[in-house]
Amino acid sequence: MGQFFYQFFGIGWQGFFDIALNSYILFRLYVLFRGTNVLRVLFAMGIFWVLRQVAVSMGLVVTSWAMQGVIAVAALVIIIVFRNEISSVLQTRDLKSFFWGIPQYQRNTPVHIIVEGVYELAKKKIGALIVLPLNQGVESFVQKGITWQGKLSKEMLVSIFWDDNPVHDGAAVIQGDRVTNVGVILPLSKRTDLPSYFGTRHRAAVGLSEHTDSLVIVVSEERGKITLVKDGQIYDINDRRAFEKLLITHAGQDTAAAGIKKHTRELAVAAAVCLVCVTGLWLSFSRGMETLATHTIPVEFIKSDQNMEIFSSSASNVTLLLSGARPLIRSLGPDRITVKLSLANTVPGTNKLSVSRSAVTLPPGIVLKSLDPSMIEVTVDVPVKKELPVQPFWTGQLSQDLIMTRAATTPEKAHVIGPRQVLTQMETLFTEALSLEEITTSGRISARIVLHPVTIRLEDPKKNRVQVEYTTRKRETVLP
Amino acid sequence: MKPFFKLISMLLLLPAAVFFSSHARARDALSKDQPVLVEAVMCEAIEKFKPVNQAVVFSISLGRVFCFTGFDPVPEETTVYHRWYRQDRLISTAKLVLHPPKWASFSSMQLREADKGPWRVEIVDSQEKLMKTLRFSISD
Repeated sequence: MGQFFYQFFGIGWQGFFDIALNSYILFRLYVLFRGTNVLRVLFAMGIFWVLRQVAVSMGLVVTSWAMQGVIAVAALVIIIVFRNEISSVLQTRDLKSFFWGIPQYQRNTPVHIIVEGVYELAKKKIGALIVLPLNQGVESFVQKGITWQGKLSKEMLVSIFWDDNPVHDGAAVIQGDRVTNVGVILPLSKRTDLPSYFGTRHRAAVGLSEHTDSLVIVVSEERGKITLVKDGQIYDINDRRAFEKLLITHAGQDTAAAGIKKHTRELAVAAAVCLVCVTGLWLSFSRGMETLATHTIPVEFIKSDQNMEIFSSSASNVTLLLSGARPLIRSLGPDRITVKLSLANTVPGTNKLSVSRSAVTLPPGIVLKSLDPSMIEVTVDVPVKKELPVQPFWTGQLSQDLIMTRAATTPEKAHVIGPRQVLTQMETLFTEALSLEEITTSGRISARIVLHPVTIRLEDPKKNRVQVEYTTRKRETVLP
Repeated sequence: MKPFFKLISMLLLLPAAVFFSSHARARDALSKDQPVLVEAVMCEAIEKFKPVNQAVVFSISLGRVFCFTGFDPVPEETTVYHRWYRQDRLISTAKLVLHPPKWASFSSMQLREADKGPWRVEIVDSQEKLMKTLRFSISD
């Protein structure tokens, strides 16, 4: 599986998972904070971060320091200024909608219920203030009021604004088919051109519409008139059908299919942007955190002639200095690195093979900095068998009054296997060094057969010792 | 056995008998021409054409080591070679002329400090046939 990711993406499964997880988190943040100023500040922070990276790469010390400060301040600003939006995102939604759901805003709003409820309120001259947010949230501009989360109905609307209801003074917020909050306090408009008969309720409606894309419905308590406010524009409602049409237009239900398509496209683009951003960030981080590692890898010799045998090599391992992203280096095991040397162009005897970079196979994303040794001497030949006599290798000094008249090994000969070139020139095997110092009389000692050069080996490795039987006598004739 | 089969058998065996007898004659002639090695020893010195202190280990302090060989008979004048090897490396070859009817001859090797270790002398006839190998060591 990991190899699959390496082959196709050039990153490990950890990197793939890292990017996917963070892309989704970013996408969820976008979905949850869509339309709020939090997202704009986050976007600005992103721009500052890019500028800081550019400044760092250009060596602009003060600029990068300033950008870092701005980013830190912006993070604080988000937490302090947009605490209402953040808390509403964290508190009001259930886990499913938090991790998975896409807020539909006014798309599922039952417009006819609102129309009927508002007309009922107007008919009974019950003052009302109803907020229908669109894409931009209202949490930053209002005092939250009381969470309601009631299924929308004509009767509920009337009862909320009923004079005896404790929450009738504030505004009711409708999202989808639910009244989410009641008793919400809206910001008042400071406009001076408003009609004199506009009371606080109307000013609040205009005030919110100036800051957000919400649609606010006002029912006058004195006159029983319905007023609709959107984007600072005031519409007096005299016609039920016109009112309904305005609501439908706001909720986007007149172009439902196109709206869904647009909505889906927007989310797809957002998801793609999140993925690209996080991937870029990941690559930036991972490349930025490039580390070095040393691996010692055994060399694999590839034989072309099966009769040929490798009798010795100056090195059996190659030490590789590798660089790459820290996660890649950390997850890199020696089993995923190969060093292969071809013996195709070798001749019997000692050959010098260059360990080139092409001989080293590395996973994607890992770069070979250097290797050691860059040259390996390999002795190859056709193996032959030969029977050689074994001769004792005496060292030291024999006592001057002794003469060694005979020394024989048992067995006299041994079978060795080695390169043809070597064995052709070899006529004798020697024992390990045997000291003459201790010898005082005839005797027998056991001795190991020395295999030199190292390219030869005994046919039976267990028979690597011989018995050396020697005979001494007293020296009779002393030479002048 | 019937006479007919006897005749056939004799006809078949005759060429083989002729071949083997001629081969044996040639071999005898060859061996008759070659000297026979009767004595081959390494020794510390040669005195009165005799080897002194025959040994297989010689001290470097001796300064010289000898290879003594005796041949009997020597059918005709011929040559033999003493090939001196230190380990498996040929150091020197001594050519010795043998005279009939019997002959003894020797070669020697001057020893240096670097000559310590195992040696061998191969005694080879004029036909490059190995007659004997003598193994010995030069020690401190």
